[in-house]
Amino acid sequence: MRAENYQQINHPPSHAFELNFGPNHPGIEGNYALQVQVEGDTVVQARADGGYLHRGFEKLMEQRLWIQNIALVPRICVPDPSPMEVCYSMAVEQIAGIEVPERAQWIRVMQLELSRIAAHLFTFGGHAATTGMYSPMFWGVADRDLILDLFEEFTGGRIYSIYNLPGGVRRELPEGFLQRVTDTLDYIESRLPDYDDLFFKNRVFIKRAKGVGVTEQAMALEYGVTGPNLRAAGLPFDVRRDDPYLVYEQLEFEVPTEEAGDAWARTLVRRSELIESIRIVRQVVAALPDIGGPLRTPIPNPLAWRVPAGESYARVESSKGELAYYVVSDGSEKPWRVHVRGPSSMHAVQVLEELVKGGRIEDVAQTMFSLDACPPEVDR
Amino acid sequence: MSRVFDELTNFARARSLFILHYCTGCGAIELPPVMTSRFDMERLGVSPMVTPRQADILLVTGYVSIKTLKRVMLTYEQMGSPKYVIGICSCTVNGGMYWQSYATAKRLDEYMPVDLYIAGCMPRPEAVISGLRELMKKIEQGEANSWKEYYRNYDYYLGNQQHLFGDQWQTPVDVIGEAEHYGLVGDGTRGEHTALLEQVQHPLKPLEMRL
Repeated sequence: MRAENYQQINHPPSHAFELNFGPNHPGIEGNYALQVQVEGDTVVQARADGGYLHRGFEKLMEQRLWIQNIALVPRICVPDPSPMEVCYSMAVEQIAGIEVPERAQWIRVMQLELSRIAAHLFTFGGHAATTGMYSPMFWGVADRDLILDLFEEFTGGRIYSIYNLPGGVRRELPEGFLQRVTDTLDYIESRLPDYDDLFFKNRVFIKRAKGVGVTEQAMALEYGVTGPNLRAAGLPFDVRRDDPYLVYEQLEFEVPTEEAGDAWARTLVRRSELIESIRIVRQVVAALPDIGGPLRTPIPNPLAWRVPAGESYARVESSKGELAYYVVSDGSEKPWRVHVRGPSSMHAVQVLEELVKGGRIEDVAQTMFSLDACPPEVDR
Repeated sequence: MSRVFDELTNFARARSLFILHYCTGCGAIELPPVMTSRFDMERLGVSPMVTPRQADILLVTGYVSIKTLKRVMLTYEQMGSPKYVIGICSCTVNGGMYWQSYATAKRLDEYMPVDLYIAGCMPRPEAVISGLRELMKKIEQGEANSWKEYYRNYDYYLGNQQHLFGDQWQTPVDVIGEAEHYGLVGDGTRGEHTALLEQVQHPLKPLEMRL
């Protein structure tokens, strides 16, 4: 260190200061930063500072073959990668006019819901850690690993599965796999009362999270909030139910809502969603043995596949909110334009800046985790 | 006598490592499993640390965009020697999936010396654990000396940083002064790039480190 870099700072006679929250901070969900103006303990203003994870995805995808992009898209959202590849495949199928076999659709639903369970368990852990409770974090990560084991068994990858193709899924489920899914779900369900005691009904958590970062319903709609964050404000909107894709029409599930719209309500909505996801996977497990047929519609030679000109918009409900792909093809081997509509870019920038304003500095991390924003998806 | 002392310190160092994991990219998602009960790196004496000055290992988890690389360089130079760098994921080796991206730095070892790479996209927790064990073995045998290379070849690393960040790039750390302090001034410590640094360098005012 050079001595001249250590000058005495003459602070202004005030208790207002500026704080860099991140990019390398335990209360931030990844490589992301907030510049917070603080007065005493109160946040006066916050400015999101993203771009640390920018890789230029939408440009990269224009330079690769249609089939190569399947390997690229899951990297956009690391904690919940499966909706990315399913949604991109759905968009390409719409342009090319490919029908997906029924069995592949059911397997996709199972993959999406397992991914949602894993992502929600991870978020519970993160939210608990930001309120000072580290045991639920250990539990959440450990239970999520059981789901990742299932992923490893049927897709081959723990995190990035690259299991979907335009036209269907890659391989058949291993023998006895459905039984192991049931066992894992039974175990996770049996853990929920423990989670309730330790986390959801814990007085520390309730006192810390209630009334923090409130999104009114009107404000949530104005800012484009989707997913569990919108449902926590009392609006029962779910793409799975209101604009059904795959086989969600044939499945029975509730769309849980809460009225409060604060950090506590958002996490409770996720807890109810976890139960609904377990219910959906159970229905898929019951239905799958009776559904035969091929796993995918054959596509032409993928290395020279010219998708016909056209454009499409496909949307799915990811664990973070509404996720959509807008894909334009000019009839060549590569996409002409791909746009990703990610939920987190709304949640982590405009909404977060608004919510932390007027709150206390120790609630900033909690607000971010309760919004379940995903920094790699913000920056792309 | 000094050799015995060195062996003893290496033995002790290898068994108490504090990781500063800068979550630069995707690889950060496999670190919670490594840290928590299933794979549990704490049984090896490895534990997370939040501040650079108290940490021993800098774990660069995944691709580094240029904006992040500035922070990684600042963090690296703040850490006290001996320090070790582990590059996780293929992206730190050669750019990985993002080899054609305009926003990422492709090879980490052009900007800082790396002790160990854990390749894979992304490496499993077992791979991270075995990489940590490998590093512990290297430390015990006195082979993990990449931090000395940074002082000996500072001109090369600084040149690459200037190429990426512009000629005005400077950090608050006086690396050449530290190299003199450790007695590690080599042929590559000073050169044209450090001469340029001395030209453009100015004392940083407080709160001026806005990147």
